[in-house]
Amino acid sequence: MTDVSGLWHYDGKTAIRHKVDLRTEVDGFVLIGDGVDNGTYRWSDLVRRDDSPDGPVYGLKDRAGWRICFASGVPDAIRSQLPEPARYGRWVDRLGFWRASGVFLAVSALFAFAVFKAPDWLAPNIPFAWEKRMGDAMVGDFGGRFCNGPGGQAALDALVRKIDQGKPAVRVHVANIGMVNAVALPGGNIVLFRGLLQEAKSPDEIAGVLGHEIGHVRKRHVVQALMRQAGLSVLLGGFGGNGGGYLNAMLAASYSREAESAADDYAIQQLKLARISPDDTAAFFARMSAQEAKLGEAAAALGYVSSHPLSQSRERAFRQSRQAGTTYAPVIDADQWAALSDICHDDPKVPADDSLFF
Amino acid sequence: MTVKGANMGIGTEEETAFSFDGDWRELAPILFTNLMLSIVTLGFYRFWGIARERRYLWSKTRFIDDRLEWTGTGKELFLGFLLVIAILFVPLFLLQFVAQALILRGHAAFAGVLALSVYLVFFYVAGLAIFRGLRYRLSRTHWHGIRGGSDDPGFGYGWSYTWKTIVGSFALGLLIPWSMTSLWSERWNRMSFGPHNFESGPEWGGLMRRFLLCYLAPIVALIAGIAAAIAGAASGGSSGGIAGGAVAVVLVLGSLYIVLPLLALAYYAAFFREMIGTLSLSTLNFHFSARTKDWLLLMLGNIGLYVLVFALALIVASMLGIAVLPKDPQAMAHPPIATFAIIALIVAIPLGLVGGFVRYRNWHFFIRHLEAGGEIDLVTLTQSSTPEPRQGEGLLDALDMGGF
Repeated sequence: MTDVSGLWHYDGKTAIRHKVDLRTEVDGFVLIGDGVDNGTYRWSDLVRRDDSPDGPVYGLKDRAGWRICFASGVPDAIRSQLPEPARYGRWVDRLGFWRASGVFLAVSALFAFAVFKAPDWLAPNIPFAWEKRMGDAMVGDFGGRFCNGPGGQAALDALVRKIDQGKPAVRVHVANIGMVNAVALPGGNIVLFRGLLQEAKSPDEIAGVLGHEIGHVRKRHVVQALMRQAGLSVLLGGFGGNGGGYLNAMLAASYSREAESAADDYAIQQLKLARISPDDTAAFFARMSAQEAKLGEAAAALGYVSSHPLSQSRERAFRQSRQAGTTYAPVIDADQWAALSDICHDDPKVPADDSLFF
Repeated sequence: MTVKGANMGIGTEEETAFSFDGDWRELAPILFTNLMLSIVTLGFYRFWGIARERRYLWSKTRFIDDRLEWTGTGKELFLGFLLVIAILFVPLFLLQFVAQALILRGHAAFAGVLALSVYLVFFYVAGLAIFRGLRYRLSRTHWHGIRGGSDDPGFGYGWSYTWKTIVGSFALGLLIPWSMTSLWSERWNRMSFGPHNFESGPEWGGLMRRFLLCYLAPIVALIAGIAAAIAGAASGGSSGGIAGGAVAVVLVLGSLYIVLPLLALAYYAAFFREMIGTLSLSTLNFHFSARTKDWLLLMLGNIGLYVLVFALALIVASMLGIAVLPKDPQAMAHPPIATFAIIALIVAIPLGLVGGFVRYRNWHFFIRHLEAGGEIDLVTLTQSSTPEPRQGEGLLDALDMGGF
């Protein structure tokens, strides 16, 4: 039976500060003072709160605002009964700061590795039918903007068959939009924009670009990117504010550049199989590169953040894939190319691109 | 029993109801270990770090005869964060696909309507976040074992916030002081401490003069700039014209980047004095003494900290040689992930630390200028019966918004 005197006490019911003494009992302790709930209280119900300038403060589990403060110090006799102060949080306090840091670092590294690598392993195993269903739901008929000038789609399909022999069908359409671009959408949908056809000097240039987009489809890049994006937002979710967002965008761009290179490799290989000259595609990138050169130094810095590799390096890759001694033939004949070039021009039903909300 | 609070604080220098005796050198080890644990947990320790930081700041804050106590936990803040992800960001993520599909299918108008309604929902949620953040903080702030809180979950306040902010921007934004003032009092009138309700009755008319100054400064500067340019041109020759143009540019830029922020600060200084000066709790009246000059010093100090640390980070980065871009574009097309990681660490570590010191400075500033007068009857100051929210200010955190 030890007595400790000179404690102050809040009962959590009113703001009055009580002067109390504490007496230990067999299974806990009681408080002695005017107008206080004496107890008995159990030692194991005590929670260490922040120190007061007067001394260490303890609260009681499930009794909001209940506090005792050992204003004249904690006697050695009861010291072992009292809980340790909480510092960093339960897990860290239990393990110790450095050991906890090590454990957290290992878990984080494993998790980060999984987020970065899992899309590569998982994406090829996702049934294409699922992706196709999602793609159909998203793309539809592109708001009726697919061009269907006479003979154009047939020429395009012939071109696709040539560079993608014996593979399950992808669906390629031309949309009446002025941008010089092409996109691979979920479910094997590829859309060429009218601007690209206007910019292209030959069907072989289109073959290279199309081979690139088909590469995205075959390598399941769209699904991969979606999975990686979802994973990255979880991974970086802990960082508040904009910092996580910027890092996310940088990492995503870095990965997308990798996918772009892989798609280029696929295109080069398909051109080789179909005996289509890579020179025209290289020439296309050379023209794009000349446009980038106007941007000067900025273009080099852009290489860090843009989603595509620089046109200059893509031009080089296509140029180098040319094989000496191979005879190349145009991918489609002149009539087909004429029909494809005019696919939008000759289709009065297609709405103009300025009505699009991009 | 009564603690005398009369004549305490208001107008006298020597004795104030609120005082802060923290020291940044005591805070530094807390911030460093928080940062270390945040890095190895990919940022998820942040919530527990904030709880530690607040425990320190609150425990160094004295009101009359006892310090404040922060009882919130990292777990609560983390749960708040998870809740926001589940109810806000996952649906938004999915909605993004719907919007894309609508655009691709040519229903751009529908997509526009969708975007607009998402925008309105964000407004509502922002209001809800401000209210619930304040409510949570009060419910975790103890003094003499008594806490604050609110019986109102804040759903109604979300609507008020939405329509008052929209109406406030009517009449070219001239009603903004009205909407800010009315939202402040609506919020505080629903908060309580112990059994007592806060009472807030600020006036917005007195703020209009300073608000109009902010409002008119760019217009006046523009007119003055044009006048200077014309005067310069008229005074003779091309050199006069160039000099006049230069004066005009200096005037316009100077007013935008120096005068306008100063005037905005002057408006905020007056706003806070009016808001806190008309706040009371039972027999306690609050008072806030910071003038424009004090706010300016606070802001300059905070900016100075960021500039200093950013400069240090740049020096370290250039010493490690990664601030210099490689010359070969081919090499740049695929910079290694490690480069990103190092850049992120060099920027994230110092910036992560500065945030903590800036919050310390802001809290110190707030307490230093906060005063209270009146009497508190400790017998009638009984425990709050308001519900204790189980999750912390996740919304406020996610939307990156301030507390008061």
